[in-house]
Amino acid sequence: MEHIVFGIGITALTGALATVAGAAEDTESNIGSQGDPNSQVQLAPQMGFLHRIFNKAVAGEPPAYGLWCCLGAGLAWALMAMQINAVLAIVLGCILAVFVQGVYATTAYLGRTASLKKFGQPVFVDVLKSMTTVTMAHAFVAIFCTVTLCYLMNAALGHPFPLPLLGLVWGISLGAAGSAVGNPYYGKERQYQNQKFGAGVPISASGNIVRYAEAGERNSLDNGFFTAKLGGPASGVCFGLIVFLELWRTILFEHIAAGWGAIIVGILMILIFTIIDRYIEVWARKTYGPYTKPEEASS
Amino acid sequence: MSAVAAKPAAGGAMNPTAMGVGIVILLILVGACYYIAPFDSRMMVLSVLIGIILGGVLIGFGVHFVPVGGAPAAMGQAPGIATGVAMLAAGGGLAGLFGGAWAAEQGTVVAVVTGGIGGGLMMAITCMMVNFIYVFGMGIPAASGKVKNDPITGDSQAEFKSQGTEGHGLPFISFVGGVIGGLLAGAGGTLIYLMLLDLYKATLPTMMQATETQILPIAISMAGMFAVGMFLVNSVLTAYNITGTIEGPHDPKFKRWPRSVVASAVASALCGVVAILIVVM
Repeated sequence: MEHIVFGIGITALTGALATVAGAAEDTESNIGSQGDPNSQVQLAPQMGFLHRIFNKAVAGEPPAYGLWCCLGAGLAWALMAMQINAVLAIVLGCILAVFVQGVYATTAYLGRTASLKKFGQPVFVDVLKSMTTVTMAHAFVAIFCTVTLCYLMNAALGHPFPLPLLGLVWGISLGAAGSAVGNPYYGKERQYQNQKFGAGVPISASGNIVRYAEAGERNSLDNGFFTAKLGGPASGVCFGLIVFLELWRTILFEHIAAGWGAIIVGILMILIFTIIDRYIEVWARKTYGPYTKPEEASS
Repeated sequence: MSAVAAKPAAGGAMNPTAMGVGIVILLILVGACYYIAPFDSRMMVLSVLIGIILGGVLIGFGVHFVPVGGAPAAMGQAPGIATGVAMLAAGGGLAGLFGGAWAAEQGTVVAVVTGGIGGGLMMAITCMMVNFIYVFGMGIPAASGKVKNDPITGDSQAEFKSQGTEGHGLPFISFVGGVIGGLLAGAGGTLIYLMLLDLYKATLPTMMQATETQILPIAISMAGMFAVGMFLVNSVLTAYNITGTIEGPHDPKFKRWPRSVVASAVASALCGVVAILIVVM
């Protein structure tokens, strides 16, 4: 019984860490403009729209976070093998991983923006100086939370994978959840704030991103401020639910019916999310209604 | 016609000769592995290699179900999840591998099913949250650009597409596709891991002259790394077959799966031969 209570406590803690990690990851990727919406940041100067948005699509978010979390976890693991306290080891490992992220962010911004020279897009040194440190700070929160939850899975819950491998697995999942949920909110809702609300961006408007703020030119900190209100927390809830429910069903039900208990609970949870998704879909169709009358709709 | 709606030229065509060549290469690799392995461990090596190939095929086939919209989905210009094919499949499948590895002691069947459910659960949560952000964050209902009516619910799609787009969000068929994709990918990744783990647990003690308990961390690490690597090989290979975006099982691109299954089998066999021969030769 004590073992299960301990497991549930650790599960709750990992879920909370994952929620913070997801929110920080999405905000970091939006300030750095790393996800799929970065295609528009790269495209805008080619369409004649020069801007002051950061541009650091190092790679897709999942492999990038797979690398950084694996690096942080690997370094923490190595430091722990040198008999350094686990908390200190994780902090030091994550700091070193964040420096790598900072190097990638700097070279990506300079390289990608320099490639747009023929379209007249300047490299803004003040953008580089002010944005890079902010992305590094958010990346540190995301990597630290992920490495810590991996450490808890390994040391407290007894998962067989070594810490670096857990860092790779959950780093990739973190990036997948953050980019899947956060990208549309940054791409459609923020970059194309000048387009109609409640409709997708017409393909003909591609590249015409919003470049001006209330005062002066819009920068990526404005974008992070905006997406941190919904896109970030939603990404956090997504990753938090994934980690929490995966561990919860295993800790509580894996000993029932020789492992089939956790499987049945997993199937039930999938069905519950299916029902919720269907409810959201139907609610949107009824509440928002069609864009055109059905008989006018073209195939 | 927009670039998103453009029909693939030769991308969707099946090439029987190429598929035949692929199957021949697959048989050669299986035969070579069987021949090279020491006589007393040939049957074990063969069963492990077949398990790896089956796992790779499950991943390759499963990735076709996952609705991926890439950059156009991030602007609400196309349906699907706004990230890359390989990345999303890897995210879901590796979450499944995590669960499957944890259940390894409870037998192959339970572990593989647990891995599948883990991948399916990750995809179910992600797909639900994608629709949440589209509907409540951006006020956009889900609509498919490839079919007039959702094949499962029968909901009409065309009038819910906003002007100048190919659709947006995740219609119900895409949600179901995502969950099936996660199930198959998670199960495939776990199967590869279990096959390699059994092999390494059986061979490493003799090779390293240590007890099974002593080599267990090395066996788990090696099997995990190879499973993650083969997962990425198969999902990237399938991403090339899909070429860009796919809405799910109702998308015309889904019909390309036989080509990808053969390619995944060959790639998994090649990776499997390397993973096996480092310990049995």
